[in-house]
Amino acid sequence: MVTTQTKPPPHPADVSQLPLRRFTVDEYFAMAEAGILRKEDKVELIDGVIVAMAPMGRNHRSTTNRYTRLFGESVRRRAIVQIQSSVVLDDRTMPEPDLALLREQADFYRSDDAGPEDVLLVIEVSDSSVDYDRNEKLPRYARAGIPEVWLTILPERVIEAHTEPADGRYAVRRIFAPGDTISPDCFPDIALSVDEILPGQ
Amino acid sequence: MVTQTKLRTNSETGPGSGGQPQPRLFTIDEYYAMAEAGILTEDDRVELIDGVIVKMAPIGSTHIGSVNSSTRALTTTVGTRAIVQVQSPVRLDDATEPQPDLALLRERADFYGSGIAGPEDVLLVIEVSDSSVDYDRNEKLPRYARAGIPEVWLAILPERVIEAHTEPAGGRYTQMRTFRSGDTISPGCFPDIAMSVDDILPV
Repeated sequence: MVTTQTKPPPHPADVSQLPLRRFTVDEYFAMAEAGILRKEDKVELIDGVIVAMAPMGRNHRSTTNRYTRLFGESVRRRAIVQIQSSVVLDDRTMPEPDLALLREQADFYRSDDAGPEDVLLVIEVSDSSVDYDRNEKLPRYARAGIPEVWLTILPERVIEAHTEPADGRYAVRRIFAPGDTISPDCFPDIALSVDEILPGQ
Repeated sequence: MVTQTKLRTNSETGPGSGGQPQPRLFTIDEYYAMAEAGILTEDDRVELIDGVIVKMAPIGSTHIGSVNSSTRALTTTVGTRAIVQVQSPVRLDDATEPQPDLALLRERADFYGSGIAGPEDVLLVIEVSDSSVDYDRNEKLPRYARAGIPEVWLAILPERVIEAHTEPAGGRYTQMRTFRSGDTISPGCFPDIAMSVDDILPV
């Protein structure tokens, strides 16, 4: 028998190293039905992990509101503008992008969740969440074949348009700054002013 | 448009390269609601650790064998002085409910049929560690200490040793004794009981 003084262990409140039980989209919906996940829960399902989303700041909210108006006015009835609701990427991944432009559907996706083939454009508004949006969500949108993602980076006042998904990443990134106009590939006739999306102080 | 770049490597944008997502944490009530709703089933080998639903390592046959031999070593020596609970949960706090391989629980007439064992009921925890030794040592051990579980044995199969961790203080165990083949080991709660390491970890 050997007696030793033990070293302090790693901080036990750190849960990032734990091997998570992952969930399917069906199980995730069952949690909502059973009242375990509620409307107040800001969560999304990423590779089977129920991820708590960063609380939305004032700047994030107002930028999302601006996008909502600008796309509503310009897209009209050609596509569905979906704000902060889920899209299904695969059976274990269902993020909640800030804005998704969805292929027109008469019932507004009441009967079915939008799948990758329905999504024309995803917009994420990133404040403190920029690393998460860029490193975790963007490659998953690419893997699902979402044709175009805009990362709206508030601290830098730029919009990154990522296009041409191939092999789980976007091959092309274009950066738009104040003074530029930006158009989604799905509706090239729409030209939005970056200044209107991201006005200065 | 200011710049157009061809991105070179996947590592710039690959999952896991940063921005660690924080899992949504669950309470014990929500954890049980998942079982009731059939989302978590008996086939799920899971435990709740600080609100995270953790997938437990699959049990290998050496692990099963050591749990079985430990069960015999405990039941034959402890008799009716305490309850031997095998691979069932104990509640450490309102977000942590691990499933230790074995737990020696304070005697109770209903065998904990009316309520799950809390930290004050647990006399000894035994974790049989095969591939899970890092997880048991780094994740579970400090949480047992934090809850004030007086003694934890890590039975480490690859090395055929038992580490007895005692004297929890400040969220960790301050004493560790190591027992090897040929040694006898006694739980702090029953110092008169001496078990052979070889009975717990048979060759």
